[in-house]
This record gives sequence, C-alpha cells and structure tokens, in this order.
Amino acid sequence: MAKPDVSAQPAGQSLARRVYRLTQRHRHWFFIGPALLILLAVVIYPIIFSTGVSLFRVTFASMSRPFVGLQNFERMLGNDDFLQSAYNTLFYVVFSVSGSFLLGFGAALLIRRISRGRDILRLILIVPITMAPIVVGLMWNWMLDPLFGLINWFLGLLGIPGQTLLAQAGTARLMVVLVDIWQWYPLVFLIIEAGMATLPRAPYESARLEGVSSWMIFRRITLPMLRPVILVALLLRTVDAFRTFDLVRVMTDGGPALTTETLSLYLYRTAFTFNKLSRAAAGSILMLLVIGLISAMMFRFLYKDIEVG
Amino acid sequence: MAVPVRERALAYAILIAMAVLVLIPVLAGSLTAFKPQIIWISSPPVWFFQPTLENFEFVLITRQNWLHLRNSLIISIGSVLIALALGVPAAYGFARFRFRGSRGLMQWLISLRMIPPIVVGLPFYAMFLFLERSTGLGLRDTHFGLILTYQTFLLPLVIWMMRGYFVELPAAMEESAMVEGYTRIGALRRVVLPVVWPGIVATALLNFIFAWNEFFLALILAGNNTSTLPMAAGTYVVRARVEWGNLFAVNLIIMMPVIVLTIFLRQQLVKGLTFGILE
Repeated sequence: MAKPDVSAQPAGQSLARRVYRLTQRHRHWFFIGPALLILLAVVIYPIIFSTGVSLFRVTFASMSRPFVGLQNFERMLGNDDFLQSAYNTLFYVVFSVSGSFLLGFGAALLIRRISRGRDILRLILIVPITMAPIVVGLMWNWMLDPLFGLINWFLGLLGIPGQTLLAQAGTARLMVVLVDIWQWYPLVFLIIEAGMATLPRAPYESARLEGVSSWMIFRRITLPMLRPVILVALLLRTVDAFRTFDLVRVMTDGGPALTTETLSLYLYRTAFTFNKLSRAAAGSILMLLVIGLISAMMFRFLYKDIEVG
Repeated sequence: MAVPVRERALAYAILIAMAVLVLIPVLAGSLTAFKPQIIWISSPPVWFFQPTLENFEFVLITRQNWLHLRNSLIISIGSVLIALALGVPAAYGFARFRFRGSRGLMQWLISLRMIPPIVVGLPFYAMFLFLERSTGLGLRDTHFGLILTYQTFLLPLVIWMMRGYFVELPAAMEESAMVEGYTRIGALRRVVLPVVWPGIVATALLNFIFAWNEFFLALILAGNNTSTLPMAAGTYVVRARVEWGNLFAVNLIIMMPVIVLTIFLRQQLVKGLTFGILE
C-alpha cells in the first residue's frame, strides 16, 4: 500500500485527498480485517450454525429438518444422562480447580523461599503442562494398571492387594480428578509465581519493621495484591476443567456406569454414537451459555482490579 | 530477605517431592518405550535391561505411524504459519491504532479462549459434511480443513501474544522511519520486524505446541489421510490388552519436541498460557 506524500497535496479537498483521508481513518482494518474475517468464519459462523441446528431436528443422515423450536433444549434438560454428566462435570470442576489451586499456590509460596535449584525445579514442574492430555491419560493408565502398574506394585510392597482403581465407580472419579490436578497445578504455580515476582517490596519491608506476623502479611498484603492474578488462574482452570474431554476419554471413556462422563464426552457421544446432532447442538449451546456466564462473572471481578486492552 | 534454615529445608523437601512425583511417571513410562516386548509388563518393573529401539521401528514403520507424524507436522506447522500470517498484522493493528471498539474486540478475543472445543467441533463436522454433499467440496479429512479449524484457538492466541510484543516497542521507531521516507509497510518490514523477530519465533513455537497436542478436533474431523499422532497413540489400547512399549514409543515421539521447545521457551510460557491476560 503506497502512501502518497501528504505535503505534496494541494490544500483543497481533491478526490485523491479524500480517498487518502478515508483510508487513513480506517487503516486499522487493513491490518485487523483479514484475521477478523477468518475468526468470524471459524468461530462465529459455526456457533450460529449450531444454534440453528439446535432449533431443528437434524441428523447426519437426514437433512430434512422440521422446525422444533426449543424442544431439543427441553429434551436435553430433562435427560437423566445429561444431568448426570452435568453433575460429574461440576464434581470435576470443583475438585480439580480447588486441588490444583491449593497445590499450585503452595508451590509458588515455597519456591520464593529457596534460591539454589529454583530454575531446575521450576522447569521440572512445567513438564506436565506441556504434555498432551491424551499422553498424560495413557501414561497414568499404565501407572494405575491393576496387574503391572507402578502404583499397585508400590501398594503391594505395603501389603495392599492390587486395586482396579479405574474400574470402580467410587475411585475412578477420584483418580481422573487427581490426574487432572497432577497435570494442571503447575499452571497455577507458574501464574501465581509470575504474579508474585511483580509485587512491590516496600509494603513488605514496612510491615516487617512494624513486626507484623508473616500470616498477617500474607493475608493483608500478599493476597489482596495478588487478587487479579488469582482470578486469572481460577478462571483458566475453571474453563479448562469445565470442557475436559481428552483425559477422561482415554482414562475411563466416561465409565464405569457413566460416573466419569463429562459434558463434552456426553455431547460427543450424543452426536457421533447416537446420531442426535440437534440435541448435541442444543447441549453445546447450553454449555457455551454456562461458560459465558462463569467467565463474564470472573471478568467483572477482574476488571475491577486491572485495566486490560 | 533471610529465610530461616528450617523453613527453607521444609520448602526444599516439599518442592523436591513434587518434582519427583512429576518425574516418576514420565521417566518410568518413557523407559518402557525402550524395553523389549517380553518385559513390557513384568511386575515388579525391570529397571535394568538392554535398551532397544525396536518399539520405535515397529510403530513408525510396521504400523506406519510415520504417516501420522507427517500429518501432525503438516497440520501443526501449516496452522501456525497461517495464524502468524493473519495474526501478526492484526496484533500490530491492535497495538498501534486506537479506534472505536478496539478494546471490546480485544476482550472478545480473550473470550474465545473459553469456548469448549465441542461447541465449534460439532458444527464443523456437520458443516463439512453438508458442504461436501451439496457442492462436492471436500474439507473433511483434508489437512487444510484441520488447519482452518485450528485457527479457532491459534489465531486469538497469536494476536494476544504478538500485541504484547508490539506494545513494548515505542511507536517512535516506525514514525522516525516513516519521516525518513519509508511507507508504513516499509517501516514495518525494515525496522519493526527485525526487532520483534524473537517474539514471533516464541509465539510460533508455543502455538506449535498447542496445535501438536490437539486431540479433540482431530478426533472429530480427521480421517485416514489426516489422522495425527495423538490419535495414533490411542490405537495401541485395545480393551484390556495394551501394547505398552509401542504406546510409550508413540507417547515419547509426541513429547520429545515439546519438551525440547519448553526448555528454550520457559520465559514466554506464562505469557502464552495465560493468554497475556495478566498484562
């Protein structure tokens, strides 16, 4: 895009000058436009398409589509399996988020207390975050294998017989959450530690001079100043746990008896195993609404603290 | 500040325990990839043995997972290149120009990070299917189709990360170059790009990791021609009988490039993982 020299233009409003003004005023679209068009095509259009599909009765086989209004939504909300998977997802979110948050926060506090070996410890803790969740799931399947897994071998050394931890309803749910925590508490750790590194030192020094106890320093100084960082960590963990698919798919595939079936897994099955495209679309729109609500709430808290954009 | 010795010892003990809990499954699992088949499932585990590469040979050549490796490379590199081509200019636009709605648009980009993959994966499958039936235009099971859908999570991330790098640069840089007679594009090419180059590389590598590890969209949209390495890993689990050595060979092929990249990228990692929300 060649730019005409402004000073060479006559003072009058020639056509060339007006066109130039117009392109100058809208030049940001030249940079942003292409990316925005693609995002409209790959994000907004599919969501509109999905919303449309959810209002009809469409399967992959038949495109004859009688309009059914909100019937798919009603069916979904009245479906026991859907409600069960919603409950499972809630369980997953609550325990995975709180577990990874507490561990990650703890690790971040601890690593501030040491100096030697900090980099190598941090590097090791990063490893799980960068692994594909499917690889993590398959790896833990091996660890938890009742016959030759490392966990059961270890339990055997303690005199405890081999457990089928992933095949029992009570423990499978717990194991999947624990593995999720194993993979993601390092993310909380990284975020909180990065946040702590930016805190000013002055309040700490004056508090220490006045003999404030370290617990009070933590509660009155560290926590309030870390608020935005904590919210970001919680937000990311919540949405990631809410949409979990890969890990559960390879570890239990929703079993036993649907006790680990998350919403993503259930909707996947509804669409691709039971060929109920419209109903799955309705469910995914519901999921989008819930996640929109959660992030909107957290964003409101966040923007009270910091300016973004 | 001085930390009491006992407190520091406790911190070391807990952190080292955490590191060990991270390393044990990763290392012990990876070790299986080098075990000959007869000791894959021996319990107690065999720790000392003659390491072999036969599992890698088996998965890559006999089971033809080199095809999956190739697909993963094509799709990951292709989608990152497209995300950069579209996202770097957009990031520059957001960093340099204030216009009505720019703030709202940036926030909208963050919100894309929250969308569950099923929400876009489902309509993509249906759209590709219906498109093929009505026009014969096949995007299903093509590299391009997957590269396109991967933009849903790569493009917003590229824009956010790169915007951070552009904001850090003083606008006076291009302005003085423009005074000297460069056009804005010329100034971008000759003055700005050489400076943000490391940022572009970091953004590219981090996005490569996300594309490389992606499983859900590939599961829905890939077929025989395009199925990726994470999908190949699942094929070694057949009911209760799992080919552990082969499985971990594939796992290791997936993990290795990412771990190497992480070692170089650890400074940029937080920025990418938090989507730059913290800035």
